[in-house]
Amino acid sequence: MTTATTEKKRRGGVLREEFRNPERRTAYYMVLPALLIILIVAFFPILQSINLSLRQATIIQAGPFVGLENYKEMLENPDFLEGLTNTLIFTVASVALEFFIGLGIALAINRAFRGRGLVRAAVLVPWAFPTVISAVMWRLMFQDQVGIINYVANSTGLVSEPILSDRTLLLIGVILVDVWKTTPFMALLLLAGLQTIPGDVYEAARVDGANVWQRFFRITLPLLKPTILVALLFRTLDAYRVFDLFWALSNRELESLSTFVYEGVRISQLQFAQGNAASVFIFVTAFLIAIFFIKVLGMQTSTEE
Amino acid sequence: MTQSRREGGVLGGRKMRRRDFLRVGGAGLAGATLLGAAGCGGGGSEASGNVVFAMGVDTSGTLQGLVDKFNKQNKGSFQVTYREMPADSGQYFDQLRTELQAGASEIDVIGGDVIWPPQFAANGWILDVSDRFPESERQQFLPAPIDSLIYDGAIYGVPWFTDAGMLYYRTDLLEKAGFSEPPATWEEMKEMALKTAQDTGTKNGFVFQGSNYEGGTVNGLEYIWTHGGDVLSGDQVIIDSPESVAGLETERSMVAEGVAPEAVSTYKEQETDPAFLGGTSVFARNWPYMYALASDPETSRIKPDQIGVAPLPAGEGGQSFSGLGGWDMMINANSQKQDQAWEFVKFMTGEEGQTQRALAATLLPTRKALYQDPKILNEVPVIRLGKEAIQSTKARPVSPYYSDMSLKMAEQFNLSLKGDVEPAQAVKTLQQELTNILEQAG
Repeated sequence: MTTATTEKKRRGGVLREEFRNPERRTAYYMVLPALLIILIVAFFPILQSINLSLRQATIIQAGPFVGLENYKEMLENPDFLEGLTNTLIFTVASVALEFFIGLGIALAINRAFRGRGLVRAAVLVPWAFPTVISAVMWRLMFQDQVGIINYVANSTGLVSEPILSDRTLLLIGVILVDVWKTTPFMALLLLAGLQTIPGDVYEAARVDGANVWQRFFRITLPLLKPTILVALLFRTLDAYRVFDLFWALSNRELESLSTFVYEGVRISQLQFAQGNAASVFIFVTAFLIAIFFIKVLGMQTSTEE
Repeated sequence: MTQSRREGGVLGGRKMRRRDFLRVGGAGLAGATLLGAAGCGGGGSEASGNVVFAMGVDTSGTLQGLVDKFNKQNKGSFQVTYREMPADSGQYFDQLRTELQAGASEIDVIGGDVIWPPQFAANGWILDVSDRFPESERQQFLPAPIDSLIYDGAIYGVPWFTDAGMLYYRTDLLEKAGFSEPPATWEEMKEMALKTAQDTGTKNGFVFQGSNYEGGTVNGLEYIWTHGGDVLSGDQVIIDSPESVAGLETERSMVAEGVAPEAVSTYKEQETDPAFLGGTSVFARNWPYMYALASDPETSRIKPDQIGVAPLPAGEGGQSFSGLGGWDMMINANSQKQDQAWEFVKFMTGEEGQTQRALAATLLPTRKALYQDPKILNEVPVIRLGKEAIQSTKARPVSPYYSDMSLKMAEQFNLSLKGDVEPAQAVKTLQQELTNILEQAG
């Protein structure tokens, strides 16, 4: 009659409790079509991908079951490893740079000043360009015949070869372009978070004699933590799946995880199975990154905590 | 009391409306799905009886005219519809592959890139036309385009128009430096380029396409072929040979000896054009289309009379070969209108069809006879000037797995050109990788 039975009632009773309530029931029915569509449109291809990645798949047929062999081959493929290294370096470097610069910009435009609305809109301009267009535009600037950046870099002796022909320089270039493009997005996300911090907290701190650094580290950062985590997760996942920037700026030279998948699945005739395995790999690891953020770093996923 | 009644009334009313909403919403969703399915099913079928011809975007504007002419000639029996496909060859290939693989394509005639036939034929997607296209007929066409259509002993289409890699040179600059003839060997070309560039103060001696892409494969292959090497012999990979190494070494020496700019390893056609047409290069390796660009002052700072065209130089003791480009006509193996499709193919690849395209769009014909035609030779200078190059073309390795092979070759040629890898090593790596590809394919 005590804890055991009440728990059992609670466990088995939750579902019945939900469905017995007519309002709740209607709510579930209304969500059902959307859920079905998500299942069909999203889950089915994912399951099919996983299924194909465990087989010797080609474009035409699914092929016999081979277990984890595709994954083994993929991990031994130097192109895949190169893509993985490039993607990891790119993700860490660009997200870190975007975060620090974005935080700086957000703090700067957090104060009310004349023309703030205009500045905020102007700051968004790089973000508004479609990635492919800015990639091609920057590529022209890096190019040896007409590129201004290449010209300046080579004449000041910073670089001794055409930027586009060296893989390391290309990676640096791609990171810089991504920072140029996405820092505004980070800045605005962080700005939105900053604006939820009430001004009186700062007032009280100032009265108590806290200086700028103490205010920043003891008040701003902790209160901003949820926003920071959301912004970091978004950017990390986006950077992890980068494709168009790499493909358009380096014209197929620079490999990332997604370009490896594309080459395997669309261009090559024989790499289909590996490309497919790589796409499942990206899916699983991206999922793990998200879970890491939520569980380990304590990102909030709803307002009821 | 009033509150509860109001609540009850309002709640009751809302509940009724909610149920109604659910009913209406459900019916609407079902109706929309049905409409969608019906729409998709209905839109697929063509006006029955029309032969569908697929080809990429026609920048010359002559294709529709030819199709209309054919339709007029065949009024009463059947008509042809031109279905425009993506301008990018890679995207066009993807779309075709998706449709043909699903087995549900409405396309009857395919205007395809010269590297596609073996890849389609191996999957049984295009029609074997060996009996309709006998040996006697094949003799009337240039040999290399015919080779590109042969797979497993059978021929799978008809050559339509062709492309060949050519050596462009500045006649005025060469004259100033004291040269009157284009070079016959790579060594000669390097000497001439360096001396002319120095004497006339031109920035670059030579530009070509060395980037990691299909064009890079073609350029690299041209160096290998002109030194006597080759990639495939039947089913054997024979790229590992001293001739191939010599070829790649020559390509590398272009940059190492300062004849070509270092950035040439990032060049495609779009970078080669402004380099040569802008007047900053003495020599250039490019396709015939660049000649037409020279007559347009918006795209070129130099004029056609300053340009000469020659076959590519050869290696010591080797023969000149040009990379074969171009487009072929193929028929969908699942087409229900094969005879009519064949009629259309004969028309487009016939003397009349090819002559029209040559005159109106400066596209190179594939029929040998047309290279003796005075009208064509007069009105399309690049054909007259490039005749030798066009007639010494060589097809890229004919294999159903060419896409994979090309990816590997483009990468190694690019690494060798940049000096990241020794030509001998690049060739060995390719021997290994290409053999793996063919073995995997089984």
